[in-house]
Amino acid sequence: MRRKLIITLTVILTVAFGGLLATLIAGNRPALGLDLQGGISVTQQPVGEFDPATLDLAVERIRDRVDSLGVAEPEIIRQGDAIVVNLPGVKNQQEAIDLVQVTGQVYLRPVQGCSGEGVQTTDSSVPSGAGTTGTTTGGSTAGTTDTTAAPGPSRRVSSTPTTDAATDTTAAPDTTSASDSSVAATDTTIAAVPIDAPITTTPVVSDPTTQQLLPLRGGGQCLVGPAGGTGEVFENNASAQIIDGGWGITVGLRNGADGEDIWNALARECFNGTDTCPSRRLAIELDGEIISAPSVNVPEFNTDVQITGDFSEDEARDLANVLKSGSLGVSMETVSVQNVSPTLGKDSLRAAVISGIIGVALVLLLLVFYYRTLGLVVVAGISVSAALLYSIISLLSRTQGLALSLAGVAGIIVSVGVTVDSYVVFFERLKDEVRSGRTLRNSAQRGFAGAWRTILIADIVSLIGAFTLWWLTVGSVRNFAFFLGLSTLIDLVVSYFFTRPAVLLLARTDWMARRGVMGIKPAVTGTTGTTGTTGATAAAAGSAS
Amino acid sequence: MSDITTERAADAAVAGGDAAVTHVRRSLWGRLYHGETAIDFYGRRKWGLTISAVLIVVTVLSLFTRGLNLGIDFEGGVAWEVPAGQVTEDEVRTILDDNGIESGGAKVQTLTSDSGTRLRVQVGDQTPAVVQQVQADFAEAAGVDVSEVSSTSVSSSWGRSITEKAIRALVIFLVLVALFISWRFEWRMALSAIIAMLHDVLISVGVYSLFGFEVTPATVVAFLTILGFSLYDTIVVFDKVNENTERYAGARAPYADTMNVSMNQVLMRSLNTSLAAVLPVLSLLVIGSGVMGAVALREFALALLVGLVTGSYSSIFIAAPILTMFKEAEPRFKTMRGQHATGMELERLVLGGSPEGHRREVARARRQAAATGAEGEVLISAATTPEAVLTHPPRPRKKKRR
Repeated sequence: MRRKLIITLTVILTVAFGGLLATLIAGNRPALGLDLQGGISVTQQPVGEFDPATLDLAVERIRDRVDSLGVAEPEIIRQGDAIVVNLPGVKNQQEAIDLVQVTGQVYLRPVQGCSGEGVQTTDSSVPSGAGTTGTTTGGSTAGTTDTTAAPGPSRRVSSTPTTDAATDTTAAPDTTSASDSSVAATDTTIAAVPIDAPITTTPVVSDPTTQQLLPLRGGGQCLVGPAGGTGEVFENNASAQIIDGGWGITVGLRNGADGEDIWNALARECFNGTDTCPSRRLAIELDGEIISAPSVNVPEFNTDVQITGDFSEDEARDLANVLKSGSLGVSMETVSVQNVSPTLGKDSLRAAVISGIIGVALVLLLLVFYYRTLGLVVVAGISVSAALLYSIISLLSRTQGLALSLAGVAGIIVSVGVTVDSYVVFFERLKDEVRSGRTLRNSAQRGFAGAWRTILIADIVSLIGAFTLWWLTVGSVRNFAFFLGLSTLIDLVVSYFFTRPAVLLLARTDWMARRGVMGIKPAVTGTTGTTGTTGATAAAAGSAS
Repeated sequence: MSDITTERAADAAVAGGDAAVTHVRRSLWGRLYHGETAIDFYGRRKWGLTISAVLIVVTVLSLFTRGLNLGIDFEGGVAWEVPAGQVTEDEVRTILDDNGIESGGAKVQTLTSDSGTRLRVQVGDQTPAVVQQVQADFAEAAGVDVSEVSSTSVSSSWGRSITEKAIRALVIFLVLVALFISWRFEWRMALSAIIAMLHDVLISVGVYSLFGFEVTPATVVAFLTILGFSLYDTIVVFDKVNENTERYAGARAPYADTMNVSMNQVLMRSLNTSLAAVLPVLSLLVIGSGVMGAVALREFALALLVGLVTGSYSSIFIAAPILTMFKEAEPRFKTMRGQHATGMELERLVLGGSPEGHRREVARARRQAAATGAEGEVLISAATTPEAVLTHPPRPRKKKRR
């Protein structure tokens, strides 16, 4: 029993302070939320009907854009239907809104010319003789003009896939015409904007009404004309599948004027290489980035469109998702923009930390004054809790992008009350047991058994609350609920694995037995004498006489 | 509290002749410290209920007449904060008018902190372009960089949706907690706990309404904390009651006795815990927002403070009496209504005796009274001293029921 207690105590102390040490050495720190650090928070929500996958896609898009700007520790969270983007340290509000403004709109825009394609992928071309579909590159500026790639280890060899018409089952890709049609593409550059301009990394705000230079996924950029149609020409059935031995996408066209007609009008322009579409390629653009710009190989499509090329499986799935979400015509709306000035944030943080520390110190003083020796156990226990909490928050900040906000800090300060209560419940019970004439050792054991039951029930209620709030709410309430839940869990762990062994061991020492608890002398086993065998009343009787 | 002392004094005086009595007089603090209080909480239940009823009436009146001052997060709108060095409120209003915003409807507040004074200007929904323009104009007027002026805008639909989400979460939370308490204890306790919790939240909302504080998401967080803390505190009290109910199950003691004993046993714990919970919040309020001027903390801390105090208060003065009233409607406690122990008897019960001691006492005293032909008040001798209690096992052995 005793050995077990010592082991438990050692393990919890090692975990808590070892974790803290590791955290400090690794330099992990809790990431600060926007309200503590200053910055801009933008919340967006989809308008009308939407596909949950669309939101995932939007989050990904925003993350790409934010990362490209190099914002430190951005926080992009999906909360229910809403996407909250917190950009600490960003000051320019308009820049922030532009950055995260993903509409989810897919535009189909004729390509006038591209540059810088495939630059980073030249090394990965693995030509294999296997005669699959003759997919060819449209971008002649690209270094890789190898026609095929093995479907197995293929990363993107050429970043421009080819569009084929899949007229029911009969359509076999016309490989020769494809390779012919897409060679002489890029000399016709209508350079309102020079397409070989330095490749910008800042996200471009899509403007579908005019000619624009847009970045191409996988490197390079293309000059594209005004949008000829939106993703809504497609059915919501885009799927990635293996077509002729390589990954490709099949997507259905909507019937009638809103679908086929628009698509075919565009396709004809590009197939014929008219002035609007000299490169014979059609760009699929999502939020200012060209996801894919396949060459058009047939002038007329019905029911289905196939896009093939040297896609990896992931790339194909990405493109399918883009088309899927685009087909719904979802647009995201900015519903809330909050600009927190960093001075306010810094002040708030300092005030919260200092007053929090003072508050906790006062509580500890009170407890040490009240419970004397046992009060010291509380001080140690709170240190263990604090060490665990700090390590866990730092770790989650690092790995999960969790940020500590003002509501979170407040949640922790509030949980001090709940944590301290566990000790108070235990010690008050201990006192009751001692008063009813038990030895300290026995009292500690019985006291804990009773107190643990109470602590467990009360903490479970807190946890139910924290979890429900975390699950169902947004914003600061959610952040608060998380920290409340976390500190409640830590309270349970510390109560069982630290307080219990610490007090039980302490209660076994002669030193403690002599001191008594809170003015009540416990029964001392083996002591007999005239002063009475037991308890408070004996002592009381003695002093009364 | 002084009532109790007099009662005790009277009791002690009457029992003074009995040689077996070895009472040590302690101060109130001493008795609190040693957990030897014997306060008849149940007998005084009307006090707590009356105070709460008054507070609730005030709250409801205030809610109907003054309403709540909802922040832009709930109603939608734009707020700017400008360093108030050179810019005056009139200038601010002029800028608003210049940008086509009705300045009459704008709320302008002055916020003071140790990093200087700031003006907070709040208006209804605006387009992003207008927000930008006004922000730039404010910066120019105040002679600072645009980034020094912060702006916050929320569309009203977003505000509605977060409110709806919070309310839905709350309802689900209450159902889950009620189920949990009913399963672990009993439904009467669940009902009493939730009534006490609603009482706390209502009073906290009342404070916001009465003083016209702005309700922000932080306030909602605070209300949720209050709700959580109130439940937590009540559960701890009820756990003790539940334990004592099991202990007294064979004794046919009035439920009010069980309740009074439990209340006295958890009193010190409740006081300590409340103090431990209130101190950090008080520190947040006094030092954080008062001395250091973090305004963001003020309303939050204030709501919490009110909530924590009412939370501790209600678990003893609201939840417990209501539970007792529920329980006394049960047939097995109905007959014993109004027979609960007070004064010395209660003290004896609190000090760890079994309820049987008390009942045996009453019966013996009645017999004696009948034998000697005494009339009126029955005097119960204090033969069952705490020592006598100690000769028995402190707790009757429970039969394992499960």
